[in-house]
Order: sequence, then C-alpha cells, then structure tokens
Amino acid sequence: MITGKTVQSRKTQALLLLLSPITILLGAFFLIPLGIMVVYSFLEPGLYGGVEWTWYPYNYGRIIGWPLNDYETFEPIYLSIFLSSLKIASLTVIFSLLICYPAAFWVSRMSERRKSFVLFLITLPFFANLLVRIYAWLLLLRPTGFINMALQSIGLVAQPLDMLFSSFAVIVGMVYIFTPFMFLPIYANVEKLDYSLVRASQDLGATPLQTFLRVILPLTLPGIAGGSIIVFIPALGNFIVPSFLGGSKVQMTGNLIERSFLQSRDWPFGAALALLIMASVVLVVMFQVVRSSRAQARGAA
Amino acid sequence: MKRMLTRLAGVASILLLTTQMASADGKLSLYNWGDYINPELIDAFSKEYKVDVTLDTYSTNEEMLARIQAGASGYDLVWPSVHMHDIMQKLGLLQAAHPNQMPGWENIDKAALRSHEDPQGDYCLPYAWGAVGILYNKKLIPDLKSWRQFFDYAKANPGKVTMLDDLRETLGVGLIMTGSSVNSRNPEEIEKAEAFIMQQKPNIGAFRYDVIPLVTSGDIAAGHYYVGGVLNVLQNPDLLGFVIPEEGATMYQEDVCLLEGAPNSENAELFMQFLMRPENAAKNSERLTNGVVNTAAVSLLPDNLKTNPSINPSPEVRAKLQIFEDLGKDLRVYTRAWDRIKTN
Repeated sequence: MITGKTVQSRKTQALLLLLSPITILLGAFFLIPLGIMVVYSFLEPGLYGGVEWTWYPYNYGRIIGWPLNDYETFEPIYLSIFLSSLKIASLTVIFSLLICYPAAFWVSRMSERRKSFVLFLITLPFFANLLVRIYAWLLLLRPTGFINMALQSIGLVAQPLDMLFSSFAVIVGMVYIFTPFMFLPIYANVEKLDYSLVRASQDLGATPLQTFLRVILPLTLPGIAGGSIIVFIPALGNFIVPSFLGGSKVQMTGNLIERSFLQSRDWPFGAALALLIMASVVLVVMFQVVRSSRAQARGAA
Repeated sequence: MKRMLTRLAGVASILLLTTQMASADGKLSLYNWGDYINPELIDAFSKEYKVDVTLDTYSTNEEMLARIQAGASGYDLVWPSVHMHDIMQKLGLLQAAHPNQMPGWENIDKAALRSHEDPQGDYCLPYAWGAVGILYNKKLIPDLKSWRQFFDYAKANPGKVTMLDDLRETLGVGLIMTGSSVNSRNPEEIEKAEAFIMQQKPNIGAFRYDVIPLVTSGDIAAGHYYVGGVLNVLQNPDLLGFVIPEEGATMYQEDVCLLEGAPNSENAELFMQFLMRPENAAKNSERLTNGVVNTAAVSLLPDNLKTNPSINPSPEVRAKLQIFEDLGKDLRVYTRAWDRIKTN
C-alpha cells in the first residue's frame, strides 16, 4: 500500500518535472504576450506608438461595426481584407492538398530506400531561408523571368504573361511554402493504411470510386484534417508572401497588422486584428477537436 | 537607399563589430538606418580614437522610437528623420549635444536646420537629405521628366510602374498632383489625393521598396524611389535614370542625435565632430548618394555627384521639394485613406 503510494507520487513528480519546461516556456512566451495583446486591444492608441491607459473598445468597432465613438468609424474594408485572407488560406489548403494527397500514395508504395530519399527531398527546402526562396519565385515569375522566357521560346505565348504581383503569384508562393506541412501528416496516415481493407472492399464488388469514397478516404481523413489545419493557420496570418509576390496590392490581414505597428503607430488596432485572426483559428481548431473526439467516441462504441 | 536593404532583411538587425577589439579605450554604440553610413568611416573613427564602435540598424522611424521608448538602453547616437527628431525632443528622449559649438559647425549648411524644435542646432547634427523621385529604365522610357509622364506611361503599359509601399510617400504624390501640401490636414484634400492614387492603382504594378533589380532588368519601367538609387544610375548610366519630377517631390532628412542617458556621450560628440570634417562628409556621400549638408564637402565630391541634378539640385528644384512634418492624430486620416487604397 505504502509502496504503491510512493510509486504514484514518484510518477507524479516525474510528470511534473517533464512537463514543467514546456509549461514554463509556453507560459512565458505564449500566454504573457497573448495577455498583453488582449489588454492592448482595449486601450487607446498612443500618439507616437504605444498605448494610452484608457478603456477603449472602439478598435473592435472599427473592424466589426460595434462599439463606436465619434472618432472611430466602421470600415467594412477590414472585414473584406479578412475574408480575402480566408479565401487565400483556403485556396492554399485546397491546392496543397491536391498536390500532396496523390503524392503521398505514390511515395508510400516506393521501396524503403527511395522512400527515405524522397522524404529527405521534401524536407530539403527548409535548409534555405524562407525569404530567399520567396525571392526565387519573384525571379521565376517576373516578365523576363525563367517561366516567361521558356513559354515564349517554345512559342506558347507571344507576350510575357503578367504573373508577378497578382493573387496567382501569392497562391503559388503560399502553396510552395506550405506543401511540406501538408504532405507529412497525410503521408503518415497513408503509410499505415491497411490495404487488406481495400482488397476486401474490391472483393465485395465495390467500384473503384466506392472503394475510395467509403474506405480509403475515411481512413486517411485524420491526416487530411491535420495537414489542412497545419497549413491553414500559418497561411491565414502570413504577410511575407503577399508583400513580396503580391506587390503589396494583394493584402492579407497580416500585412494590415504589420502596418498598424510599424507605419500607422496604432498598436491597439493591430492587436485587435491579431486577436481576430486568433479567434478564427481557435474556431477552426475547436471544430476539428470536437469532430475527432466524436469520431473516437463512435469508434469506441 | 536606406530603406531598401533593411526591408529585405525584415526583422533581422545586423550587428557590426569593428575589428578594434584589443586596443579599445572606449565604446560607442550607434543605432542607424540599414545601409545609411559608409562603413569605412566607422573603421576610420575606431582606429583614430581607439574606440569600439557597434552599429545596430532599424528600418522605420517608428520601429526605432518604439525600441527607445520601450527602454532600449546602451545606444548613444540615433538617426531620426526631422519630424521624428522633433517628436523625440518633445518626448525628452534626446539631450543637447551642442554640435553648434563644435569645430566643423561652420561647414554645415544652415538651410539644413529643418527641425522646428531645434532651429539652432543645439541638439542634433544635420546628416544627409534626399529627394524621393523616380528611378527609370532608359530603354523603356528614354526621357522621363514628370509624374504626368510616369502615370501616362503606366496607363499605356499597365503593371509596368511601381510606387513605394509607404502611406505618406505615395499619398504625398497624390497630394502633389492635386495641388495640396504633403502635410495637409484637410480631409477633403486628402480625399482628393486618395481618389487620384485610386484612379492610378489599376496601372500600378506593385507597391514596394525593393525595385532596383526589377527596373534594371526591365521588368518594371519606372519606380517611385529614393535618391539613393543614383548610386546604381552612376554604375549603369546608359540603362538607368533618376529624376526629381517637375511637379515637385517629397524629401527627407535625417539628423544625428544624442540620446538622453547615452553611456558614451563624449565619444558620441567626438563622432559628430568626425562626421563634420569635409573629407569624411564627402566620403559618406559617395556611398549614400544623398544630398550633402556639409558645404565644404561639396567641392571634394567626384564630378558626377557634384553636378548631379538629383543630388545637388538647383534652387528652383529645391523650392519644389516638401519635407514631411509630424501630423499627430491626423495621421489617422492618412492611414484610413491608405487602407482603402490598398483594399479596393
């Protein structure tokens, strides 16, 4: 009895010891800044940056229309920027999914040696700095860049295409950056797909489409959901790609936040926008958590 | 120039340590725009006075102000633009270094004392100034003289010109084109400027700082840019051109200021004197290709800089240059106009 208790308390101690570094790290570098952002978003902007310590909920009014005072007016443009950020992030998820899903099946059927080589290739881009890689896309997409040169020399187009500084360029850049993040969770899932279930479905007379929709897709869905979330969240807050490849004409909420802090000296407004992004991310994650815990409950039943 | 590389580097700030580690008698800590001082000067100063010089960089006035206000200590000298110099002096962040009582002050052009708060030069030393004009590719536009021509070209060739991703600069062009002051606080005038830029927006390829490679390659025919671009024009005079448009343009100037509580104020004052020496001012200008505030340095400049109409403009052109003033709360009117331009 006594020994049992000691083992129990040792286990607790070990757990505390193991969990405390990450807890302290998250507490110090995530919760405290988050708290500061929440507080700042309800304060008045200081004339020269910083904040005035007066209660000022009107930063939110400027974005969502309520509450307002004489000085802050509702500007629907902020919601429309947010909606277009949602659109760009969703398109990024869709295109990277379309690339990664078939690729994951292809890689999972390779021999072990080729498989590890391909996985190494997929992580290879991380060895180069992100800015350098985005800059490379700028060089590829510009009118005198490689892609236009190639298209012109094989006679496909007469005039160089205007690809740079457009939504197209932004989505290309985003898909390029986030593809590895989509690939790895999907691959992990596809890798352990039980092919005996696929064969069973074929034996029982299912068409290929039925096999895919009723067996393969549900079994790989957790990987798709995980990859989509990992891509969607950073894509929504991205500001480097739109400012480089979108020429700052395509803008996302991230650009607006950067500008609030560095150009217009309006920290509380930047904080309010950042919390808006955060809230929508939390919603997406909650949705996924609820969905997967329901699925688990169903599985257990 | 100053904003070009720092934008690229983004948040990263570069710490430059000079090589005079062993024999140092003292320290000096500089906080300057990226790429806004000739590194040879730092080396020369640290050798001459046996001082360890460190250089940190920033890319906007606001970023620098935020760090100083947040209590970044240890810096001695900063390089705020004139309107930020005024703000910092009002906020009590600067101390009087009295450059006007130092040897070499007689070289400083008194027209460069542009600060409202510091009209006699008791606090800060004028450093360099420059116009913001248009950098263009001569193969695509042989002879560019005006904003009108710039926007007409853009209309005929949509997407082939860029403007700066800076709310005051780009709305400033709108204000110049609609005949108002770039420091207007009148919402109607700002609205007109907004409408003007809005009308041009479909033809503008991008709002960005880093355009020199694109103009050089001909991907962009012309870009709204700082006079620092003249450095590239001089290296490639047949291909590139820089012009201060006929309608007028904005200008900037930075002053060198001593921070309140600077740990090495004596070395900082020595550095100010060092900068005022004509040969040093000239060497710095060769690298920055900015306007010179040191009248004695002008004769030491290479001819291609001395006679360059963008770096050393005629009095008539100078009269058309406007400098930004701090707008206080009215900046919000600009911010909103800019947000609408960027979105719609």
